Amino acid sequence: MTWFSTIFQKNRRFVSYGLAIILFLMIALSPRVVRPLMGNVCSSLFFYPFSELKDYVLELQHVARENRTLSKQLTEASLQLDLLAEAKRENQRLREVIGFEPPESFRLVPVKIVTLYQNIYPVAAVINKGNREAIRIDQPVINRFGLVGKIREVMPDFATVTLLTDPSNAVSGRVAETREIGIIRFSSDKGMYLDNLPADSDIKPKDLIISSGLGGVYPSGLSVAIVDSAMANRGDILKTVYLKPTVDFFKIDELYVLIGGEK
Amino acid sequence: MKIIPYILYLFFLALHLIITKDIIVIYGAGIDMAVLIITLIALYKSETTTLWFAVCAGIILGSVRLDLMTWEILALVIPALIVHQVGTRINLESVTSRLILMAGFLLIHQSIIALVISGSDFLTLIYRTILPGAVYTLIIGGIAFQILDGRITWKKIKALF
Repeated sequence: MTWFSTIFQKNRRFVSYGLAIILFLMIALSPRVVRPLMGNVCSSLFFYPFSELKDYVLELQHVARENRTLSKQLTEASLQLDLLAEAKRENQRLREVIGFEPPESFRLVPVKIVTLYQNIYPVAAVINKGNREAIRIDQPVINRFGLVGKIREVMPDFATVTLLTDPSNAVSGRVAETREIGIIRFSSDKGMYLDNLPADSDIKPKDLIISSGLGGVYPSGLSVAIVDSAMANRGDILKTVYLKPTVDFFKIDELYVLIGGEK
Repeated sequence: MKIIPYILYLFFLALHLIITKDIIVIYGAGIDMAVLIITLIALYKSETTTLWFAVCAGIILGSVRLDLMTWEILALVIPALIVHQVGTRINLESVTSRLILMAGFLLIHQSIIALVISGSDFLTLIYRTILPGAVYTLIIGGIAFQILDGRITWKKIKALF
């Protein structure tokens, strides 16, 4: 074998060219065996890992898009459910009356939070859509768990949202079952509570509090909070009702502005 | 010949073909990464390295369309060896001279493939794809040569800011 090694070392350049020409001829003259074999080896070795990576990234993008769509649909369905539940209660109370007004129609505009202003609790948020997307002052902002707040200021491409956790933002609320009306407020020491509810009210823990629709800002029937505790001492005129918001304000991300609401 | 860097170059070429080519294309003009890498190897490495790298790159490019595999190999190997021979025989100190060699390589490779794929649309392809693609590749090649010559360094970029 030493003679072969010597020839290879001395004529390395020509051997290299010779091997390259043989490989080229094999590829050129055998389009049905060598070429597919080469193609298969190259595809599985070089292309397949990157192709898988590309597919994975595209699939992630697709899943993210689908997630956004489904999240929007879920919020719409949740809103519809709230409205239907409210309509059912209304129907039960007024079944003898003929000719109800048609249910309110809304359009949801999905928005993302750009920044969140926090003062112990998050109290305001800047969202990524403004008056170019038909966002106007006082439009309600929701997510799939319930009412989040309302639009406070509008810029061309951004808007600020006052959250329900802002002490200056009070909402007229209603106990879903008993139909009693109170004012939902928030303070940093008490948390969310229902004000102006008489001491003899039948409200009990786990009752759902919804927006009453009074005041004209928020439509009626949006979930706002669950009753955490309700108590009244002897001689009190009003009941002290502590609430647990349905929305976790520390985890809000994708929101929806409710546009429309014409009756 | 250390083989691992060249295998990584081939992986980079595959990555370019599968993922980045579509992303960095500008108005139909894309970078001919194979020619760019082979020119750099032909100018800075040995003849054997150039020959085998060009053959492997041709096989990889031809794997996308098997009927073009032989043309890809020919259109890469022959100009690559010419570039190597010219590079060893004449003075290529200036970046311009190396870019002219690269431009010739680019035009030969792109023209052969364009002629084989669509003979009738060749003239349209020249001004729509081949020339803009060559300019785009030459700009990237120019930057690569500046980096290899040490004219563009991380230190200088940092000094700008």
